[in-house]
Amino acid sequence: MSGTLVARGLGKAFGDLVVLDGIDLEAQAGQVLAVLGPSGCGKSTLLRVLAGFEPPTSGEVLLDGRPVSGPSPQRGMVAQAGGLFPWLPLRENLSFGPAASGRPAAEVREVVDELLSATGLDGFADALPKQLSGGMRQRASIAQVLANRPPVLLLDEPFGALDAQTRLRMHEWLLELLAERPTTTLLVTHDVEEALLLGDRLCLLSNRPATVVDTQPVPFGTGRGRAVLADPAFVQMKAAVLERVLAA
Amino acid sequence: MSAALLEDAVVAAQGDGRPSRRGTRWRRLLGFVVPLVLLGLWQVVAEVELLSPRLLPPPSVVAEQFWVFFFGETGTLTLAGVVPFTGAGGDHLLSSLRRAGIGWLLAVGVGTLVGLMLGLSALARDLLDPVLNALRAVPIFAWLPLALVWFGIGEGAARALIFIGALWPVLVAVGDATSRVPRSYVETAQMLGTPRRWLWRKVYLPSALPEVVTGLRLSLTLAWTVVIVGELSGTTSGVGAMMNAARESGRTDQVVVGILVFAAVGLVADVLLRLATRRWVRWADA
Ligand SMILES: Nc1ncnc2c1ncn2[C@@H]1O[C@H](COP(=O)(O)OP(=O)(O)OP(=O)(O)O)[C@@H](O)[C@H]1O
Ligand SMILES: [Mg+2]
Repeated sequence: MSGTLVARGLGKAFGDLVVLDGIDLEAQAGQVLAVLGPSGCGKSTLLRVLAGFEPPTSGEVLLDGRPVSGPSPQRGMVAQAGGLFPWLPLRENLSFGPAASGRPAAEVREVVDELLSATGLDGFADALPKQLSGGMRQRASIAQVLANRPPVLLLDEPFGALDAQTRLRMHEWLLELLAERPTTTLLVTHDVEEALLLGDRLCLLSNRPATVVDTQPVPFGTGRGRAVLADPAFVQMKAAVLERVLAA
Repeated sequence: MSAALLEDAVVAAQGDGRPSRRGTRWRRLLGFVVPLVLLGLWQVVAEVELLSPRLLPPPSVVAEQFWVFFFGETGTLTLAGVVPFTGAGGDHLLSSLRRAGIGWLLAVGVGTLVGLMLGLSALARDLLDPVLNALRAVPIFAWLPLALVWFGIGEGAARALIFIGALWPVLVAVGDATSRVPRSYVETAQMLGTPRRWLWRKVYLPSALPEVVTGLRLSLTLAWTVVIVGELSGTTSGVGAMMNAARESGRTDQVVVGILVFAAVGLVADVLLRLATRRWVRWADA
């Protein structure tokens, strides 16, 4: 399967401010790479460069071995604040991508119907984004991007603004969703538990300017749910990783 | 999972904290109280002849003239020898509406185009902003003498003036609103596969629309304001022409009829415009 995203020596500076410094990472096809880093280290900037919203100052981004630049439906990005257009009802928000790429209306409808039920938002097809709760909006933002069936999904702290219980539900929902449609996912977060629960591999970033401190596999297997939270090995790893993030 | 999802669906579907329908409906009726009181006061003042009817005709007389203006037998009264009054209301109104409408639509077209250019292109902003700001500072009626020289007394001058007056609110609203469209909307649209040439239609316009509609309403009001100046300067058709002729003939009651027509049409046009655009700006309501 395709969809391997590689960053090679990626650097980004805004004027004199160096934010990314030679980032090397690889998100393997169909896997979730959780990127953990302290607040303000440049996580959003990294995703924006990977998505093609910002050109890198140095280095390159490769998708399946080919260099890519500029935003494209191949790399679906959900920004920290979500990406719904406030003037469009939910259904039109979800069909925005497939319609923009000129897919036939019947096909668009089918894709959107399926995503509406996968996100539990069947009853809200005609609702405006402001009529949805925070959790619903985040699910909808992810669905909006998935409607294009992108090989790569870039998520920037998608559940950061939610309360702890809702966030846990969202984690289980996302695991289920990705199990049904394997998509290479780069999940940026500062929440260690989220990274361990969702990631197949873990990538630790340093303080600004961000460099990759360490990459390691997450050994809790696929198909995990909240039960793993009580696993002593999980608790132990969480504490260890937290130490490393704080020390980074 | 589905149970959990249902839960927050229910939360979202519950009340949105707005005051009840009933309350707002009564509130709306309050807006009619003041005009009714003023009307009563007006009738009393006129009846005890505190002011001469030549200065302030009683509402009953004005109402009668209003009726005659629109539904009287055509041709029984012609003001100042050239401007028909009885039964001519519809014709006058239509000709005023057409004048204002043509000027306004022209302003909306040009204003939207130039506004989009200003909003989307920094180069256009740098080139045009100083000139436009200088032109905008000229009071509308300062253009009148020039308009008369260029387009002659009557129709042409009226349209030019209405166009200039109605242009600025549209141009400024479209320019401001499109330049302030959040970059994240544009990025999301591009990431989802929207070609560059469709961005203005898919993102800039809908995002800017609420502010643009405010500009359109303002410019409609201005078009309707300026139309009377055009008509006072030498047309024989139009509500303004009727009012001018009525004044020359000393018929204050008919002058007041003209004022009422202007007020009613302005109000109705604004409500219609709001209704017509409600579908597209609903999302921005507080
Ligand atoms: N367009 C820009 N121009 C200038 N500086 C920028 C720009 N974007 C980001 N920065 C700077 O880059 C640094 C990293 O920002 P970034 O948003 O990537 O961090 P982050 O890790 O996502 O933070 P958070 O955890 O708060 O989301 C910050 O110091 C920020 O001020
Ligand atoms: Mg961030």
